[in-house]
Amino acid sequence: MHVPLLIIGGGLSGLAAALRFARFLPDVLLLEKHSRVGGLNSYYYRNNRLFETGLHAITNYAPAKTKNAPLNRLLRQLKIKRSELDLHQQIQSEVRFLDRESLLFSNDFATLDKEIATKFPAVHTSFQRLLQLIREYDPFRPAPFVSARKVLQETLGDTLLVDMLLCPLMYYGSSLENDMDLGQFVIMFQAIFLEGMFRPGGTIKDLLDLLLAHYHAHGGAIRTKTPVSRIIHSGQKVHGVELTNGEEISCDYILSTIGSEETFALLDKPSPLESLPRLGFVETIFELPPEAPLPGSENRTIIFYNSAETFSYQQPQQLVDFNSGVICMPQNFQDLPPSPFKEVRTTHLASYDNWYKLKEDQASYKTAKEETALASRRVAEKIVGNFAKNIVYRDTFTPLTIERFTAKKKGAIYGNPVKVKDGDIGYDNLFLAGTDQGFLGIVGSMLSGVSIVNQHILPRL
Amino acid sequence: MTRDGIKDLILEIIEDIDEDADFDTLQADKPLRDQLDLDSMDFLDIVMELRKRHKLQIPEEDYPQLATLDSCVNYLEPLLADA
Repeated sequence: MHVPLLIIGGGLSGLAAALRFARFLPDVLLLEKHSRVGGLNSYYYRNNRLFETGLHAITNYAPAKTKNAPLNRLLRQLKIKRSELDLHQQIQSEVRFLDRESLLFSNDFATLDKEIATKFPAVHTSFQRLLQLIREYDPFRPAPFVSARKVLQETLGDTLLVDMLLCPLMYYGSSLENDMDLGQFVIMFQAIFLEGMFRPGGTIKDLLDLLLAHYHAHGGAIRTKTPVSRIIHSGQKVHGVELTNGEEISCDYILSTIGSEETFALLDKPSPLESLPRLGFVETIFELPPEAPLPGSENRTIIFYNSAETFSYQQPQQLVDFNSGVICMPQNFQDLPPSPFKEVRTTHLASYDNWYKLKEDQASYKTAKEETALASRRVAEKIVGNFAKNIVYRDTFTPLTIERFTAKKKGAIYGNPVKVKDGDIGYDNLFLAGTDQGFLGIVGSMLSGVSIVNQHILPRL
Repeated sequence: MTRDGIKDLILEIIEDIDEDADFDTLQADKPLRDQLDLDSMDFLDIVMELRKRHKLQIPEEDYPQLATLDSCVNYLEPLLADA
């Protein structure tokens, strides 16, 4: 079998790349290791219902008239109409540093601006300077690493505000400990504070099914449960792949969305990229009946919290760091259809290595999961109000769960801290897209797939 | 294909990319991208649609020749002579 383009990995970047290509040339084959597409943003069935994984909210909300906003560009590129997506904007979200300060933000930037003017009046003028810098900065121009934390500190001079601005941006897309590249900061600031958050009215499955329906309509092919065992290559040229069942598929181009190290492993080569610690996470879903009260969160979509003296975003010494995290109430988006349940979803930083040590001893691993859910619930209850007695179902994912189902090395959802921004990993006809290319979030990763196809593959065929 | 036919083809492709595109004030000798607020990603769609519809292979180095409506017509006229 021969195809012009073979895509490895059916996450959102792979799906978007495949759809983009199929619009013009239908002979594209998408290979996905698991039984379902979606990668980090997928779903599973338990307790007679569908649970979403990954998705809290989709960043980069944009109204229809802003033609050049990432969301609208993406839809044009994929030829999907906005009306096919049922978009629901967030109500409002909050950065809460316990016993210190709180900042509300919404899809109207004036909310955050007013909060900063009221709560950090001394630095409001400096904040306007920061906004100016963000507007003028081109995050897509290749540039060496610039510490966003240093630039923020120099511009604002208020460590608490710097931490409060970084907290949501790091939790929603930083693969690096305690800092971000300035370009990444600008992209994330734009995506979360200047644009905002939304979600589909249904589930992530509806979005994935929509992408698949468009892809199939253009004649694209997909194989699930189809792991690749190696990429066949000579010198700087790739010729195809061998599947774990021994079948060989030849192709003109390969787009890999599975990560840089993971791709080098298929090439049987060590990764030439610097090795930095990867950030693991734990997530717990608490299902509640729809009428369960959550007094501290009724009009909050997401709460990014920190209870420690300083905000630390790094691999914890223990299994999980409960000092900070994300609490998401997926029912709190505007005008959602009525649902038979309510959820509280919590996310915290976790140590993959410490969880890995428990792997062999199923009993301790299980106990650690229970304890994690309990500790996470307690910290969430301090913020949203008590809900323990209303829990009807609960599930916890560790970094090992995430690694097993998403194939993200060490369960690091944001991938390798070292990004390959141009998707070029040193081969003539093999390119990288997705998490390790550097665009994050659902809109970002899809644009990653689209832009790498546009840049490296479509013009050459 | 006639020059007018080529012009219609390009406008039809653009309308397909952006249904809100406003052609009323379009000047044929000025860059399409600036006037219609197209980015480089949208622009690639024009090239790919020409390929899909008319089997035209436009090399990357020729993309600048598609900058304005006039230059598109000039560039495509010989290529679409038999279309």
